[in-house]
Amino acid sequence: MATYQLNINGKHMSVEADADTPLLWVIRDHLKLYGTKYGCGIAQCGACTVHIDGTPVRSCVVPIERMPNRNIITIEGLSEIGDHPVQEAWKEIDVPQCGYCQTGQIMSAAALLDRIPQPTDEEIHRAMKGNVCRCGTYPRIMNAIKSAAKTQES
Amino acid sequence: MKTSRRDFLKVSTLAGGGLMLTMTIPGMAKLVQNGSENGLNELNHFLSIDLEGNVIFQLTAHEMGQGSGTGLPMILAEELGADWSKVKIERAGYDKKFIGVIRETTGGSGTIQDHWDLMRRMGATAREMLKSAAADQWQKAKDQLTVDNGFVLETGTDRKLSFGELAAAASKLEVPEEVEFKKPVDFKIVGKPVRNLITDQVVVGDGNYGINMDLPDMVYASIEKCPVYKGKLQSFDDSEALKVNGVTQVFAMPALEPAEDMNHIQEGVVVIATSTWAAFKGRKALKVTWDLGENVTNSNQKIEEQFAKAGEQFENPVYSQGNYNKMKKEEGVSEIEATYINPHQAHALMEPMNATAHYNGDTCQLWVGTQNASSVVLNVAKAVDIPDDKIKVHTQNSGGSFGRRYYPDTSIEAAYISKQIQKPVKLTWSREDGIQHDYFHPYQESRFSALLKDNHFVGMEVKLIKTVPYGSGDHLWEQPYYVEHLDTYLKAVDGLVHQGAWRSVQVHSSSMGKECFIDEVAVELGKDPVAFRQELLAKEIETVKFNRPTRPGQQPFDEIVKEFRTTLRKNYRSVLSYIGEHQLWEKAKSPGIGRGFAMEDFFANTVCAHIVEVEKDDSDWGIHIKKITSVLDCGIVVNPHFGRGQVEGSIVWALSALKYGGIDIKKGVVQQSNFHNNKLLRIDEVPEIEVHFVPSEEPPTGLGEPATPPLAPAVLNAIFDATGKRIRKLPVKREDILA
Repeated sequence: MATYQLNINGKHMSVEADADTPLLWVIRDHLKLYGTKYGCGIAQCGACTVHIDGTPVRSCVVPIERMPNRNIITIEGLSEIGDHPVQEAWKEIDVPQCGYCQTGQIMSAAALLDRIPQPTDEEIHRAMKGNVCRCGTYPRIMNAIKSAAKTQES
Repeated sequence: MKTSRRDFLKVSTLAGGGLMLTMTIPGMAKLVQNGSENGLNELNHFLSIDLEGNVIFQLTAHEMGQGSGTGLPMILAEELGADWSKVKIERAGYDKKFIGVIRETTGGSGTIQDHWDLMRRMGATAREMLKSAAADQWQKAKDQLTVDNGFVLETGTDRKLSFGELAAAASKLEVPEEVEFKKPVDFKIVGKPVRNLITDQVVVGDGNYGINMDLPDMVYASIEKCPVYKGKLQSFDDSEALKVNGVTQVFAMPALEPAEDMNHIQEGVVVIATSTWAAFKGRKALKVTWDLGENVTNSNQKIEEQFAKAGEQFENPVYSQGNYNKMKKEEGVSEIEATYINPHQAHALMEPMNATAHYNGDTCQLWVGTQNASSVVLNVAKAVDIPDDKIKVHTQNSGGSFGRRYYPDTSIEAAYISKQIQKPVKLTWSREDGIQHDYFHPYQESRFSALLKDNHFVGMEVKLIKTVPYGSGDHLWEQPYYVEHLDTYLKAVDGLVHQGAWRSVQVHSSSMGKECFIDEVAVELGKDPVAFRQELLAKEIETVKFNRPTRPGQQPFDEIVKEFRTTLRKNYRSVLSYIGEHQLWEKAKSPGIGRGFAMEDFFANTVCAHIVEVEKDDSDWGIHIKKITSVLDCGIVVNPHFGRGQVEGSIVWALSALKYGGIDIKKGVVQQSNFHNNKLLRIDEVPEIEVHFVPSEEPPTGLGEPATPPLAPAVLNAIFDATGKRIRKLPVKREDILA
């Protein structure tokens, strides 16, 4: 066990964990931030997506030893009051059914729009195909991303 | 059962003032007398209006993504005339007193249709009481008052009183005997795309999913279970596991004997730790020796061999009409046959299976997303040997369920573990556990034969063999298409893995056979498949004859089925009429496109048709699904946004099964383990989906599942149209299309 200094959602946090502990489980079980979800543990479903230095990353496969000095943002830190343009678009389109995968979807979508403010359908597909939704809200995710892109444009 | 309104609803004053209406159910009075008086207050589906005018609705239906937690209060608020922004939901939890008194399970696409009348009655009753309170205060006749958006208003003046202002006075009034419901044309909430009440929490990462449970002093558990069904634990070495940081305890879990044999719990080794990850890691460090038992011989091949054997042992048909076998021998009669295969499918819910339990010596509390809390109570009570009235279930929202959380396995395990360690414990299954120890969609072989004479379809024989017994979601006995001679046979074999309900249950499998085969018959007769269905549905149902005894005191089974079929055929016809009026089938026709059609009723209440357009392409799969047009007759659509979402979701679900599904069992072990080999549809694979609801003023019917079953046959029929190849099994592989 070692102590790691982390920067999560703009706050400094100290965590005691084994070096190989995935960031996901530090976020959930140590820091009790439950917006980041466990889905597969092998980077196949995207439910655990967080931003590390602005890049969307599957936190279930990132060991904690690589996290010091990195800027980690989870869904809880994406915006102060849940009003990031992507969150607003998710509410406007009313995307969720069960909602479980949606925080990962939102984190992937927010990172996409940071990089490509006006993505084409193909660019949305490429950025989002790592995020599984078993309820099948994909058509609404497409609409919400387009809506958020439009808001950003105006 | 008939009850007067007075027996049905009970009024009382809310603590702190205000109106509370409680639903009482026939038989409930007796239970309450035997129990505590406040039992009534714990009953589900009660409505309170506080002095601020907040409308508080108690929800017992499980919220798992189907949207009942928003749809039910919409119906209630509609009749009440409430301000939707003041409607609040509380989760009623679960109480043993509900068992056998109300519908305590969530499933079968039944929540909205089963509660439609009840929600309306509660809303209308409260509305009339608020109106009476206003009438008393103003000394006006009630017929001069209206209700809108949380206020009672006087016609012709600008006087108004809010629900909050009236709630206390209303709570002193008698419950009216009769109430009138609003006309659908006056609806202001029902029929509108109201936003899901969970959305605001979901987008910020809140939401009370079971997997997010956290209790003081809670520990974390993971179980290494025998990979072969009903195999036994021989020995284990935990020396390395106990060296893992955070691992505190390792012990054996015996095969638990719950109340229902189908919920048999596999033997295993439990790892307790201070975090989920430590428990997973500890598990990997275990060395376990299993006695795999006789089911080690199980495989897909063995299941199909058993099917072949069972196929020679059909006894009497469960349904018989005319004389198929005699007709078959007549001159000029030809027979065509086809067999369809549906393999096991996994649920692969996004929220892995879990349960949190706290056994404290006398009582056991459970926090779990469940469609069937009474089964949790029943089975936990038996497995951990505690009286069922000492068990409390706190139902959490689910990250998807689709039938899987109907079964109480994780609750039984968590309760057992908590009893062993005398601490609150959260059990989280890994993704691999969830796939390998699923309650699988049953394996099914569907054999169809048709008799053709003088270019007419005169007889049909249906032989279904599956890995679950007759009675568990059976289908096809209510076969809607008219045919003079019809025999239906059923046979079950043991699947040797857990079998369970999977979105649309076995209708998914039977529908594939039925709708592909009707297409094959139409093609054989040179008829348009949609026109052919219309022709078969035009004839009225004659006598229905089942080889099944009528239960004492009940309407004869044949009569029930006849009524049922008559209703469902009406809905089949309304869907076809809508398609005809809007020329949806014709519009799908274009050069280079294969068109496919299929339609299905789900438990006879909703009829859904899909028109699928496909084209050959050079993708990995060899075919591209361009567009799906869906038409449903499901009565009033309470929330069209949710309705459309359930149709899209059902299509995506069924496409995953069609393209990537199927479970392989080798040497008794499920070979799939995670999303790399149990693939699911991704965002770039979703076709254009266009959804139509047939306009209706009939009460709503189910929407969570009905769009699932007709998807596979519509796609398979479209592939035939595009390629000339009849594919009769799932999943559909590239080589099937290109062969």
